[in-house]
Amino acid sequence: MAVSFEYVAKETVTNLWRNRMMTLAAVLTVAVSLSLVGTALLLRQAVNRQIGQWSNNVSLQIFLDAGASQPQVASVRSMIDQTPQITRCTYLDHAQSYAQAKQVLAGSPTAIAALTPATTPTVFKCQLTSPGDAATVAATFNSGVPGVYRATSPSQSIRVMQQVTNVLQLILLVIAIVLLVSSLVLILNAIRMAIFARRREVGVMKLVGATNWFIRVPFMLEGLVQGVLGALAAVVIVLLSNVGVSYLIRHYKVSVLGSAVLPPHDLVVTELVVVLIGVIVGVAGSSVAVRRFLDV
Amino acid sequence: MIRFDNVTKSYKNLRPALDDISLEIQKGEFVFLVGSSGSGKTTFLKLLLREEVPDAGTVWVAGRDIGELSQWRVPYLRRNLGCIFQDFRLLPNKTVTENVAFALEVIGRPRTVVRTQVAQVLDLVGLGEKGDRMPHELSGGEQQRVAVARAFVNRPLVLLADEPTGNLDPATTQGIMKLLDRINRTGTTVVMATHDVGIVDTMRRRVIQLDQGRLVRDQARGVYGFGDDMTVSSRGVPAVPVAGAGGGRAYDMAGQPESGRVAAVRARRGVR
Ligand SMILES: Nc1ncnc2c1ncn2[C@@H]1O[C@H](COP(=O)(O)OP(=O)(O)OP(=O)(O)O)[C@@H](O)[C@H]1O
Ligand SMILES: [Mg+2]
Repeated sequence: MAVSFEYVAKETVTNLWRNRMMTLAAVLTVAVSLSLVGTALLLRQAVNRQIGQWSNNVSLQIFLDAGASQPQVASVRSMIDQTPQITRCTYLDHAQSYAQAKQVLAGSPTAIAALTPATTPTVFKCQLTSPGDAATVAATFNSGVPGVYRATSPSQSIRVMQQVTNVLQLILLVIAIVLLVSSLVLILNAIRMAIFARRREVGVMKLVGATNWFIRVPFMLEGLVQGVLGALAAVVIVLLSNVGVSYLIRHYKVSVLGSAVLPPHDLVVTELVVVLIGVIVGVAGSSVAVRRFLDV
Repeated sequence: MIRFDNVTKSYKNLRPALDDISLEIQKGEFVFLVGSSGSGKTTFLKLLLREEVPDAGTVWVAGRDIGELSQWRVPYLRRNLGCIFQDFRLLPNKTVTENVAFALEVIGRPRTVVRTQVAQVLDLVGLGEKGDRMPHELSGGEQQRVAVARAFVNRPLVLLADEPTGNLDPATTQGIMKLLDRINRTGTTVVMATHDVGIVDTMRRRVIQLDQGRLVRDQARGVYGFGDDMTVSSRGVPAVPVAGAGGGRAYDMAGQPESGRVAAVRARRGVR
């Protein structure tokens, strides 16, 4: 069976236009909910980047003296092995540590200039069974262990920031999900109305032997188009908000948003996720409508 | 071409809409389906289209047990069955040509084929000049012609008509019947449910009468009236009530399983 492209395109556009108020409502709801999804995702990426860049999921960093000897390093390592609260450690030698410092200090070239690989302290980055132990474990390593310069855990402020963004993210996601469900229902209803508006045509099609898919495809496509249009609007909104944030940072030097400007790669991934969700919502809404209301 | 083997169909009501119907309709026959309102004529046609499925028994169309068809094949069955109704069922926002073309477009026929076949069939039904009219700009008879054109444009094996003249005056009715007769002469089997005494009595084709879901008469070259034996015999064509001891077709099939099986084999092998 050849479903002619021209036929399907014509049918879909006609349907969308005839149903334009419902279409508009569905598209706008998809747009708003997907903007929230996109924002939540970007927020998450930004915060993770800020925190993760230097702590990398590490809850304890043990910096060694720049001139620590090999035996000293070995004894610190065995001490780490004997500490039950520590689950895993990676050791960064001078070169690795320097490379990481350069990344962290990317914003201040003068600080980087002051460093050389040799003067950058080597470091053990450790994960703890529970972050709450960080302070006590740090204290043991700070009690004059030879070769240890200082053991630090991520500062309290970062943890607060993490919690705040987690809550914010959760709220955004809950709102987004509620809106996504309503956009699904709106698309479903738009398709139901389209089916109702075209019940005569559908009746004739069944009578003369059009296949089920031939009858269904224009309606499914209509839902898909609504989902995608909404998603595209959301993509634009997310792009604009990203531009807005970077403008704020450059102009007012809002340090909290330090790395909220995402590299293009993250942005592209987020936008793709947004479009994908739009496609899923559109197809899901119209599939349900077609199954429920188009008894072929 | 069409065969019912002990077909019973009930809706929610107690009394079945069709009760143990067995009959066979050959390729190229013209059959009137008569009976009072609620006797099961529309149900009969719906079973053929597989809009309904029988509770018991088998319906054969073109050698196929259509109860066995999987859901996705039903559209292909319907491409072999043209349909017209009392209420025409044209699409009000399409022209005559578009209405007829629609039937071919939605089964994926190429555009060139659509153009030539639509033109041909519009000529056949006598509407070659009115292709650009909208349905509301046509008389009832003309609208029914469009419906016939749409039903016939794909050259179906069978044309099913459910009271096609129910909304038309006698003169217009005659025109439609002439058209159906012409279509029948091309070899198309026609099954027509009707209440119109006049056309059944003048056309003198096979008449199948239903009463409360039961097959009560199957008469070659029959008339509308039932129990009106005087009229019938006075015209020299005996009515054959199935329920009686006569030798009508349906009785033959039910009474002689042998010949029934032969017919079934024939039907199965039959011209598609
Ligand atoms: N969808 C349905 N649901 C329940 N009962 C139905 C349905 N369709 C038909 N019936 C019943 O089945 C019986 C036969 O109906 P059918 O429509 O076949 O009659 P008919 O001979 O076509 O009548 P008419 O001449 O009035 O069109 C009737 O008693 C009717 O009430
Ligand atoms: Mg009826």
